[in-house]
Formats: sequence, C-alpha cells, structure tokens
Amino acid sequence: MIDVRDLVYEYPTTRALKGVSLQVEPQTITALVGPNGAGKTTLLRCLAALEDPYSGSVTVGGHDTREAPRAIHALLGYLPDFYGLYDPLSVRRILGYAARSRGIAPAMTATAVDKAAWRVGLADRLDTKAGELSRGLRQRLAIGQAIVHEPKVLLLDEPAAGLDPQARRDLSGLLLGLKENGMTLVVSSHILAELEDYCSEMIIIEDGRILGGQAVKVKDIERSRYMLEIATARSDLREFLEARAGVDVIEADEHHALFTHTRNAAARAKLIKDLLAAGFEVSSFGESSKALEDTYFSRVGQNR
Amino acid sequence: MNPEFGRNVWLELTPGRMIVMAAVLAFAFFAAALTDGVLVGPAGIAQIGYYLIIVIWGTRNAARSVVGEIRDCTWDGQRLSSLPAGTMMWGKLFGATIINWFGGSICLAVILAEVMQRSGIVAALVQLVYFVALGIIAQSASLLASLIAVGRRQARTQFEIFVYQAVGILAAIVVWAIADPTGSRIGGLPRPDAVAWWGQRVPSEPFLLVSLAVFAAWTLTGCYREMRLELKMRNGPFVWLGFLAFIGIYVAGFDAWLSSNSALAQLDAVARRLFLAGTVYIVLGYVMAILEAKDRVRYRWLGSELGRFHVGKVFAGLQGWMMSYLAAVIVSGILLIRLSLSPLVQEEATIGATLGFFTRDIAIIVLMNMLWRRRGGDFAAIAILVLLYAFLPSIFSSLQLSAAQALWAPHTTDPAWLSPLIAWAEALLVLVAAIAAISLPEERSAANAARMPR
Repeated sequence: MIDVRDLVYEYPTTRALKGVSLQVEPQTITALVGPNGAGKTTLLRCLAALEDPYSGSVTVGGHDTREAPRAIHALLGYLPDFYGLYDPLSVRRILGYAARSRGIAPAMTATAVDKAAWRVGLADRLDTKAGELSRGLRQRLAIGQAIVHEPKVLLLDEPAAGLDPQARRDLSGLLLGLKENGMTLVVSSHILAELEDYCSEMIIIEDGRILGGQAVKVKDIERSRYMLEIATARSDLREFLEARAGVDVIEADEHHALFTHTRNAAARAKLIKDLLAAGFEVSSFGESSKALEDTYFSRVGQNR
Repeated sequence: MNPEFGRNVWLELTPGRMIVMAAVLAFAFFAAALTDGVLVGPAGIAQIGYYLIIVIWGTRNAARSVVGEIRDCTWDGQRLSSLPAGTMMWGKLFGATIINWFGGSICLAVILAEVMQRSGIVAALVQLVYFVALGIIAQSASLLASLIAVGRRQARTQFEIFVYQAVGILAAIVVWAIADPTGSRIGGLPRPDAVAWWGQRVPSEPFLLVSLAVFAAWTLTGCYREMRLELKMRNGPFVWLGFLAFIGIYVAGFDAWLSSNSALAQLDAVARRLFLAGTVYIVLGYVMAILEAKDRVRYRWLGSELGRFHVGKVFAGLQGWMMSYLAAVIVSGILLIRLSLSPLVQEEATIGATLGFFTRDIAIIVLMNMLWRRRGGDFAAIAILVLLYAFLPSIFSSLQLSAAQALWAPHTTDPAWLSPLIAWAEALLVLVAAIAAISLPEERSAANAARMPR
C-alpha cells in the first residue's frame, strides 16, 4: 500500500530524512517509532503528500506523491501531532465540515457524521462545542475528522498523547476495528507502550534513517511472540528454531531467541519437547508481553 | 453551499456580531445625521466606515484566512481536503471576510442611496463598481501576499500578518488614487476627461472602471493559482503567459505619456510601446524571481528535459520569472531590431547592457538560493543588488569615478559597445556559476549551505 524508496527530505538547515526506504502492506497497523527529532513527523508528512521529497519517491495506493498528490489526499486520513479544532463549533458541525470537504455528498453527510461520531465514542456529544470537550475527547474528535470519509490509509502522529489509560484502551480498540474494516494504518509515537496493543509491524527511525533498513514484524494476531532462554550457549539456536514449522524468528543470539509461534498449546508443547530432545537447556520459555519494546531495544542496541 | 464558505459563516457571522455591527453603524449614521453640516453627513460616515471595515479590517481578516489556519494547526487538514482550489479560494476570501462584507454592504447601501438621490442611477452604479472592486482588490491582494509567503515558508508572526494586510491596504490606496470616481486627480495629476491609450482618447471614467475590474480579476486569478500550489496542484504556463500578454499590451498603450520625456522623445510610437512592455517584463522578472520558490530538483529536471529536447515538458514546467525573462528578451530583441533601422547607437547599447545586467541579476538570485537555500538566498541576492545599484554608484560617484559605474549597471560608455560587453560578460560568468551550483552533488551542496552564514 505504501512504498518509499531512497527518500531524502531537507529543511533549510538540516537533512531530516537521509535515504529512507520502506514498504507497508495493506490492512496492517505499522508503528513508526524513534526518539524525538528522529524524522517521524517529516516522514508522515511526506507519506501524506504534504511535502515534496528532495529526492527519492513515495508511492501510496499506487500514486506517486509528486505526480498525483491529490489522488493520495483523497485516499488518506491524517492526524497531525499538533492538530487544531474549531472550538466555537459543535462536534456535529466539525464532522459535517470534514465530511463535506472530503467529498461526501450533502445527502450522505449526516450518515457519515453519525458513523464517525459513533466510532470515536462521541455519538452522545454531537451538539457539544469542541472548546468544551476534554483533551481525550478532543483527540477522539480529531481522529473522527480523519476517518469520516473512510480513508484507505490512515496516518496518525502521536495519537495517544495526553490520553488517560481508558482512552488509550478505547483508541486501541478503534484502531484495530479500522484495520479489520480494511484500513492500512501507520502510527507514529515515541512511547512504545501505547503501540503495544495494536501494532503488528514496526519501523524504527533514528537520525533520519530506518534502523535495519526495513519494517520489523513484531506481532501477529494469530500468532504470539515468545521469548526463549537457554542456560548453555548454543550457536545453532536460531538455525534450530528456523527449521521448526510455524516458528518465525525475530531475534536470536546464543542464549536467547525471540520468535513468533502459533497460539496453539499442543504445538507449543511439541516445540519445547523438540528443544529438550535436541539438548537445549531451556531455562525460560514464555509469551513476551512487550513485543515492541523488546524488538526496539534489540534493534537500537545492535545499531550502537 | 461551498463547505469552506459555510464553515466561515458559522464562525464569523454569528447573530451577536451581526447585531453589534448593525447597531454601531446605525448609531454612527444617526449621530452624523444629527450633526449634518457641522462635520460629515451619513454618506460621509458610510464612506469612512466602508474603508475601515472593508479595507483596514477586511484585509486583516483576508491575510489571516490561511495564515490563521496554519497558526491554529488546521491548515494541513484543509490541504488534504477534496475541495477544488477555486472553492477553497472563494470560501476563504469571502468567508473569512463575511462579517466585513455584512458591515460594508450596510455602508454601501447608504452611500449609493445618497449618490442616487444626488446624481442619478448611473453615478450610483459607477460608485458600486468602484467600491466593490476596491474591496475585492484590497482583500485579494492581502490573501495573495499571505499565500505567496506561505509557499515560501515564511513565519506566521503578527508582524508578518500586518505586512500582508499592508499589501492589501497599499493596493486599495493605489486604486483610490487612480480610480476614485469622485476624485479630481489620477495618481497626483489632474484628472482628464479622456485617457490617451493606444493612440485613442478613451473617456477616463469607463476606462478606469473597466481597468479596475480587469485588475481585480487578475488578482483573484493570482489567489487561485497560489491556492492550487498550496493544494499540491501544478500550474501550467498559459495563465502567466496570458497575464504577460495583457500587461504588455495594457502598459504599451500609454506610450503617449512618454512623448514629453526627452530621453525617449527620439523614439517612434512603436519603439516607445516596445520599451514600455519590455520595462514591465523586466520588473516582473525581478519580482517573480524573488517571490517564486527556487527548487534545485525542479531546475535539474528542467535541464535534463531541455537536454532531451522535450520542449513541451520544459514549456509546461517554466516558472513565472522564466517566462517574464523570455518575454523581456524577445521584446527587447524586437526593440533592438527596430532601433537598428535608425542611427540611435547609444540607445541600442543601453538596451543591450540593461538586458545583460538583468540576466546577471536573475542569475545572482538563482545562485544565492542554490548556495543559501530558501529565504536566506533571496535576502542575500537582494543585499547584493542593493550593493550594486545603490551603494557602489554613490561611493564611486563621490570619488568622481562615474564612468566606472558601467562595471555593474547600464551606463553610457565610449565606445558604446563596451557597456553591453561588460554586462554580458558578467551575466555569463554568474550564469555559469548558477548552473554549476544547481548541478552540484547533493551532499556537497548541503555542506556548502551548512557553511553559509545565516
């Protein structure tokens, strides 16, 4: 759905992106992570065809950002990190304006507004002015604006910033729901914990470059992530695991391995049995609950 | 309804604001009626009110219509919208100023009622066209200035909003000085009954009103094209070429005004018209070269397409300053051919030198932008041009070395061909440097930019 090749972007005094290449598959939620100032927002703006690259190419839904930026605008929704709302207007009017300006016919606008408001949990506040909403509800309204026209691609820059735990949980549910409905999502954040619940892929960006040069698969809804530890070092740990059916190794060294595997208990039991039979001294085997964090620090650590 | 206009109406035209506006104006008219004959009458107050509400306040709202969205972080959402550029432009221009047009309409109604009673319906219609065109030109000039600045990534401080507002007010002052139907002067000169244009004597009132309407249309066209760029659409070359053709023909028609000028008195009417058109194209070349974005990638692409003789693609990718430059060169070339038929050697040399220095200056602007990038490049280029055309002449003049001025600006020389020779030698030198800077590999150019003072 998104294809970026050798993207270079420059501000007047700095080069923000230094040859970024990446692919994002359709109907996935990809986390774009990295420290502040790494280039996440610039990359999202390039993906949204709001900025022209200095060199390289960005293709979204088959359209090049230089050749057909308006075609890309039509198929995406974008929530910037600093968004604004028209405070004196009601939720209904704000969503109505967003719907009309995104090309929804007047006759369909009310339906689109109701659906977007329901999705972001603002159906009971349609006549409340934006200026009277709490921070979390404003965030939901901003997301509602971005999805009111049912975009194919949704770019969210720090969507959970300032949200309370319940609102973050609701956001996770919303984003997973959007993905199930066919949307492709790219979510930027520098707080890994908030991405943990819904992201399946991760792109780590640091100093304008993608670490490892590509997206990392960190989670699969059908498959869980497991961390294996063995007491005695074995250089063939990765090789052994990769040879097992259904095992997809993310990271491995002589003592540890992080891999995905089916959630099926019998299959898991068989894997442990095979490991023991092959002489691996398994000291720990468990589901990893911090998929993104583990992968992020593993990648960042490799890079330093 | 235009969604952008509708949103602005929701925000700007609230019942409270309408009531306050109507009440304040009604009070002002009532007070003026009570003191009629002592100060000004209701129609006078309405004129002052119109200028205040439409020009002073309206230009501010027009200047803020896009810049305010950027400040409030809502502009990206609008840029991503499906609204066509024309819809967005109309929605902003008349939506952001809707409260001003509400108050302005009340003032205009009072003005027209008084004019109609005093001078009849034709005079009232003339006033209507004048006031509406004045408001549109002032507000669209402010919007245009703000859009150009947004395209150049200028900052959005209150001071800069004031600058965009000032552009609109300045445009209104020019319109008022030239086209006020009740005024007795045009641009400081006594107002004639007829204007000499293309050898014809055209009644001044309809001529000025039609001119006003046409310039209002061009200002709106400028806003539309800048809005297209903001919405990431491409502008083809034909509208700017159309504007060049219009402005060249329009200005060339005023050749009779030059006949009393001793320096140009020797030229015939055709040469004078070519001179006027060429001068306008040179001015536009400078203005557009400063205002338009100088994009290295775009210039490289143009160069590569030119190298492959893809004339159509190169033509479609030309910027305004390039077309103005070409128009200036073509018109000056025709003028030179015309002058070669007469013994005006010194005039030919001056035109050749002017063209050479114009080429050099444009190359300086491009070169500085390649070295400094974006805004810094334009400031550096302007500084160099000020040095060449203001400081150096004063210094050398005070040193009794006036002849040396031929080294950096058009100046009479003996032999006459020396001045154009110097100009074109400098032009070629800077042109080669600019092309080299455009072709410089990315990393080296970035390193050069990093070393430049800011």
